[in-house]
Amino acid sequence: MTLRSLGLAAVSLALMAVAVVVGPALDGAQGDFILWQLRVPRVLVGGLVGGTLGLVGATFQTLFANPLASESTVGTTAGATLGALLALALELPGGFPAVFGCACLGAALASLSVSLVAGSGRAAMADVLLAGITVTVATGALSVGLQYLSDSRALVAAARWSLGQLPQVGYDGVLVLAPLVIPAWLVLLGLARALQTFAFGEELSASRGVNVPRLRTLVLAAGSLSVAACVAWCGPIAFVGLIVPHGVRRIVGPTLARVLPLSLVTGAAFLVLCDALARSLSPGRELPVGVVTAALGAPALVLLLFRSRRA
Amino acid sequence: MTSLRLESVSVAVGGRTLLDAVSIELEAGRFLALVGPNGAGKTTLLRAALGLVPTSAGRVIVGNQPLHALSPRARAAEVAWLPQQPLPMESVPAREAVMAARFRFSETAAATRRAAEQALERVGLAERASSPLTELSGGERQRIAIAALLAQEARFLLLDEPANHLDPAQQGDTYALLGRLLETGIGILCVTHDVNLLNHTGGAPQVAGLRGGKLVFTRSFEAPELPAELGALFGVRMLSLAANHARLIVPAPPEPQGGIG
Repeated sequence: MTLRSLGLAAVSLALMAVAVVVGPALDGAQGDFILWQLRVPRVLVGGLVGGTLGLVGATFQTLFANPLASESTVGTTAGATLGALLALALELPGGFPAVFGCACLGAALASLSVSLVAGSGRAAMADVLLAGITVTVATGALSVGLQYLSDSRALVAAARWSLGQLPQVGYDGVLVLAPLVIPAWLVLLGLARALQTFAFGEELSASRGVNVPRLRTLVLAAGSLSVAACVAWCGPIAFVGLIVPHGVRRIVGPTLARVLPLSLVTGAAFLVLCDALARSLSPGRELPVGVVTAALGAPALVLLLFRSRRA
Repeated sequence: MTSLRLESVSVAVGGRTLLDAVSIELEAGRFLALVGPNGAGKTTLLRAALGLVPTSAGRVIVGNQPLHALSPRARAAEVAWLPQQPLPMESVPAREAVMAARFRFSETAAATRRAAEQALERVGLAERASSPLTELSGGERQRIAIAALLAQEARFLLLDEPANHLDPAQQGDTYALLGRLLETGIGILCVTHDVNLLNHTGGAPQVAGLRGGKLVFTRSFEAPELPAELGALFGVRMLSLAANHARLIVPAPPEPQGGIG
């Protein structure tokens, strides 16, 4: 088990290193620029975003007691997207902080409303997903309406952003995201033991000393905030938080002390690889990475649904 | 002596009174069986004593303190719970299901693991520590849940039908194990449908009857009036039989009746 965990972590890190060198050969000063100002920051941002999505997905699955729960299925991503779009389409002054603030608000409202449904006691597994889908569809409709009403310049920026992509020049993204998401990682990883106890049943965990309201608040707050930061910078990137924790569980088993850190590392590698694929599929033109993760994630979700129905 | 005390505890959910001014006291080292028809409020009483449902009146006192004044971890040091469905159907190894009950301790993962394995040994399942819960029989799962209860090391154990899913030999073993816990000063409040299992615990167990959310009686298991009171509680005639110097209380078989035609 431990060997498998170490192996998975090592492979993930190695693949991320490989992703840096995927692409045309790099020579001279131009090559240096491409390597250090384009590819390396892109991989770092991809790692920060992918790691966040993987880790948050794994904690949400436990918190919602639902194998299909993740930031993209319970509405967190959709809420953040709506908030960020609002800021972009209305061209709010304040740059990234304004976008991030609105995304945070949207993400928190969406996760909170779904968790109220989940926490109302008798909610079945499907209710949580239905609530998540409702939030997602509603915010999706609002997003489209917003784009329809906004002027064409803002519209182009918003439409491009809403596909989810990682390209960047320089280290602004790393400097903005790292201080927002890394504290959230530490909070979520620190809750592994409480979440593991919670996984055996909400009331039973309360009788064993878990402060359930506090656990719920911390996971939702850290999850919403870090996902909102990623969405505000890169746009919505779907399905990473759904697929990655499932893959990790398959390999190392259900123990959260392993699943949580490995979902972080594997999520980072997964997104970076998807991005490497996105920029090398058609030379000269880049696909947004959100398109690649969605193309991989949609069939994976269908597969999981089938499996959970059989179980 | 410390005790777990419910003082006129009422619980109402959505306008329905599930528990109506119930007062009971469980002393350290004593066994109190809680009996009553389905829907009498037995499980609600346990949940109230654990602080899992808010009381609409009255209070729960453990030692000298109100239960609700304790932090979740401090509460877990006082009362532990064996619910009716104690384990999820997941492929988690048995050891980890037991380790989860150690949450209240601030200790290393290795220490948690050792304590969990000791608890598994006490229920005779040490060799199943690495088996996923999904591969265990109903009886084994119940014993794993009891191991988890032991691993929590609380002073009072609140059990909801601990003999569920167990064969007769294991039922007796489980109550004998509970009896040995009494000697270490642990107090046990146990919901059961079969008071005869109290023959296995030793000590001087008591029986509390609950119906419609109200406490109807509290008696020593030896009390001569217990069979009649149990009969009235369940609405059946109970017989008291002597066997092996012990007493069995069983529902009377139906009277022979004349044929219809």
